[in-house]
Amino acid sequence: MPVVTLYWNELEKLTGVDRETILSNLPMLGCDIERIEEDHIDVEFFPNRPDLYSVEGVARALRGFLGIEVGYKNYEVNPGKWKIIVDNSVRNLRPRICGCVVRNLKLNDELIRSLMEIQEDLHWTIGRNRRKMAIGVHDLSVLEFPLRYTTVDESFSFVPLDFEEEMSIKDILIKHPKGKEYSFIVEKFDRYPIILDSNGEVVSLPPIINANRTRLTEKTTDVFIDVTGFDKNVDRALNILSTMLADRGGILESVEIIYTDYVETTPDLSPTKMGVDKSEIISLLGFEVSDGDIISALEKMRYGVSIRENYFEVLVPPYRADIMHPWDIIEDIAIGYGYDKIKPDYPKTSTVGKSHEWNEIKDIVKEIMIGLGYMEVITFTLTNEEVQYEKMRRPKLEPWKGFIPVMHPLTGEHTIIRTDILPKLLEVLSVNTHHPLPQRIFEVGDCVVEMKNVLKIAACSTHSRANFAEIRSVVQALMRELDLSWDVKECKDEAFIEGRRAAIFVEEKEVGVFGEVHPEVLENFEIPNPVVGFEIDLSKIFNVGELI
Amino acid sequence: MLSPVEVELIKALGKGKYHLEEAVEKTGMKKDTILKASYLLQEKGFAEVITELKKKYYLTDEGREYLEKGLPEERLVILLKKGIDEITELQKLMGKREFGIALGWLKKKGVVKVENGKIKLVKEVIFEEKDALKKIAEGEVVDEKILKNLLRRKLVDYEEIKNIYVIIKDVPKIELREYISDLTPEIIKSGEWRGKEFLKYDITIPSKEIFTAKIHPYERIIRECRKIFLEMGFTEIKGNYVQPAFWNFDALFQPQDHPARDMQDTFYLDYYVDLKEEKKRGYIERVKDTHENGWITGSTGWGGKWDLNKAKQLVLRTHTTAITIHYLANNPDPPVKAFCIDRVYRRETIDATHLPEFDQLEGVVMDKNVGFRHLLGLLKEFFAKMGFEDVRFRPGYFPYTEPSVEPEVYVEDLGWIELGGAGIFRKEVTEPLGIKDKVLAWGLGIGRLAMLRLGMKDLRRLYLPDLGWLRELPAIKR
Repeated sequence: MPVVTLYWNELEKLTGVDRETILSNLPMLGCDIERIEEDHIDVEFFPNRPDLYSVEGVARALRGFLGIEVGYKNYEVNPGKWKIIVDNSVRNLRPRICGCVVRNLKLNDELIRSLMEIQEDLHWTIGRNRRKMAIGVHDLSVLEFPLRYTTVDESFSFVPLDFEEEMSIKDILIKHPKGKEYSFIVEKFDRYPIILDSNGEVVSLPPIINANRTRLTEKTTDVFIDVTGFDKNVDRALNILSTMLADRGGILESVEIIYTDYVETTPDLSPTKMGVDKSEIISLLGFEVSDGDIISALEKMRYGVSIRENYFEVLVPPYRADIMHPWDIIEDIAIGYGYDKIKPDYPKTSTVGKSHEWNEIKDIVKEIMIGLGYMEVITFTLTNEEVQYEKMRRPKLEPWKGFIPVMHPLTGEHTIIRTDILPKLLEVLSVNTHHPLPQRIFEVGDCVVEMKNVLKIAACSTHSRANFAEIRSVVQALMRELDLSWDVKECKDEAFIEGRRAAIFVEEKEVGVFGEVHPEVLENFEIPNPVVGFEIDLSKIFNVGELI
Repeated sequence: MLSPVEVELIKALGKGKYHLEEAVEKTGMKKDTILKASYLLQEKGFAEVITELKKKYYLTDEGREYLEKGLPEERLVILLKKGIDEITELQKLMGKREFGIALGWLKKKGVVKVENGKIKLVKEVIFEEKDALKKIAEGEVVDEKILKNLLRRKLVDYEEIKNIYVIIKDVPKIELREYISDLTPEIIKSGEWRGKEFLKYDITIPSKEIFTAKIHPYERIIRECRKIFLEMGFTEIKGNYVQPAFWNFDALFQPQDHPARDMQDTFYLDYYVDLKEEKKRGYIERVKDTHENGWITGSTGWGGKWDLNKAKQLVLRTHTTAITIHYLANNPDPPVKAFCIDRVYRRETIDATHLPEFDQLEGVVMDKNVGFRHLLGLLKEFFAKMGFEDVRFRPGYFPYTEPSVEPEVYVEDLGWIELGGAGIFRKEVTEPLGIKDKVLAWGLGIGRLAMLRLGMKDLRRLYLPDLGWLRELPAIKR
């Protein structure tokens, strides 16, 4: 989630209240204050509120929340003479473009920094790392309109931002830091979308980099913003940026976008209308709330609102990218009303509790094992084939039929989900050789076999005289306590010593194994003392309940 | 006042000087106990403990050999007396090494002369060494000078022996009663304990540490949470770790291009399922419509195209909500109260506070006439049962709930701590699955709870247990 740096001097100036008031109210608007410093605070805003990624947006919301300036805020867009002609060739690459001209700005360091930060945050959130949407902000005075949004091939060259030499697009994608970072978006392109001015000079190579010559300086007063992408996220980003600059005293002028078959004027800063039933508000919130409270809450959250017989017609500001459903507005009513003012009420819903069979069996087995002197451990279910099979001298199961491999593992340690617990216990013993013996441990828990969870219990004991008889006694006790009649047969599990290993059978079904762990396995796990152990698949014996 | 062991010792030994071994034999007490008692008696002036270092001499292998065969010089003299005096012949008979040793010693004693390759005996000689070896072997004392010589020749060696003596100087004039030390079956059977006193032990001396087997501290917390849910009338549910992306993401209205769905954060499996059952029940079509245009939920939807293939891919579930939502779809009739505490996976690099797998707790209430206020009521009650009396609520954001809330609990010394998240499932989530009523949902990571409860700084130790830590950690942490 984006962390936004807000400078006290700007925040206090724009909201008109002191630090204390800001600090106590901001979290109740929906954010986490990460750090409080002398000159700034770092605040983490939720990804659904990109309109709060700038000090202007935060101030606008806070002024409403504090009742200083409430209700819908109208933003004027003056008709501009600016045009962008869109070539058909962008249609299959990056079809949509929007623009806005903002005049009369005082571009100081603070504003330039704020602009750069919000661009980055919008690129990351709405833009999904520039894939769905990318923004360019330019010095209007160097551009000759009308602009053309068209495509060129990779040999086309210009001077990219922060460089002094002309570079071909091909080189930019390989050498320019931004080119390297975002080349993945255009890697399958044979032609590249580009914005040119009427002199043929480059404005921007979206979504990669602007031309160096359009960069903002402290002398810049008028800017042109372009946003490219695919869908309404393009408009959302432009609306957030243009309203933010209007709050800074900028005067907005529209840009005409001329596609081959239609013409559009941007930005469109008219509100969206959404209706909300009073009954739905009360139902979702779970308590009675008066019309007055609803209206006041909505206005604090900067909505426009009019009421008609238990029906609220709400004007949603153009910078709100998150309002998809009336419930989104109802949440804002709750926030505007104040979460701290809502009286919690335990629901009357009456039901009878029931635990899951899986865990009931787990609990009984735990009780027995602890009674037998075995300490419970828990381990990761993520593991690897080496630990599960190779070190155990066991044949590797087949992927999918046996274990499941994960894609893109982060380490060689965690490439599959365990099918057996015993190897995990040997791992535990191998990191605990410095602790006094005997060590007796068990784990009862989930393994994943053929993509389904199964419930297994494994236990092992290590000390200088651990032997077959010891572990057989334990298995006998466990089976007796579980009221199971069982049998053993010779088994071929190479993890154990031949002649000191046994397969456990319940009702003719092989359910587990026990024995003296083979010295080569001990060597593999670097365990210096004899180990005896067992493992039983409880889901083959008991009804472990429904698994979703 | 003498302690029982002191009395026991004095009684068993009586006045006199005793070697420690002797004392053990006489008293049947352990060495340590005798020494402890003796030192206590020494403080009181009744006894004295003295330590003498003594050298005990013994024959080396070579010494033993010479004792048997005779010393080399002795054997040489015998040969000389037989008239064999050629050096080369003597070397042959005795071996070069032993001949060398023998000649050297005889020369030193001044009893031979070497002329023209021949050895001449010039004086009669007495060999005291052999006699001395014999004496040493038998533990007798030998002449200091000869002993030194034998030590130098490495025919004799010694070890230092510490002899400890207990001297009982005085038997105090107190009544030395007979005490029972170990209560044995014989004593019980015979009743001979009657009229006798039991030896009093020093109850302040710690015994050997032993450790109990017990459930894992983390499982204890999980057990506590389960108990709370069951007390509150919730049904426990469980699901597979491997889930189709459909239930993990799509059914929860997570857009298909959402960053959380990236392989950056999610463990995907290279396996696709057919979602036959989901298709049959109409979920697929309705979820697709909801994502694309909101269907009849009143939502605008995310726009764009929803790709069935992405929903078919398997993932290691990233949250237990994949299970709760599926359970609700299977049980759409209110009221439903269900919970799940189980393992979830995130593709994260391991560090002290981030693990690739951890346990999550989640509860849902579906009913008519429940709303946000009741969600807050549930949270307050749940946290109170967990021992967090002070709870406050702040707006939160989760992609599948609206409204959403972040509960915070007050913890001594730490202040307000965010503990999990909650909200009401969006209509875009419930309606396509045929769920008509509101669903209150909340969840939290057990790891965070464990950190607060166990004062842990590093979550890794939960899953790769250090047995020392497990053994030492009390079953109840206060």
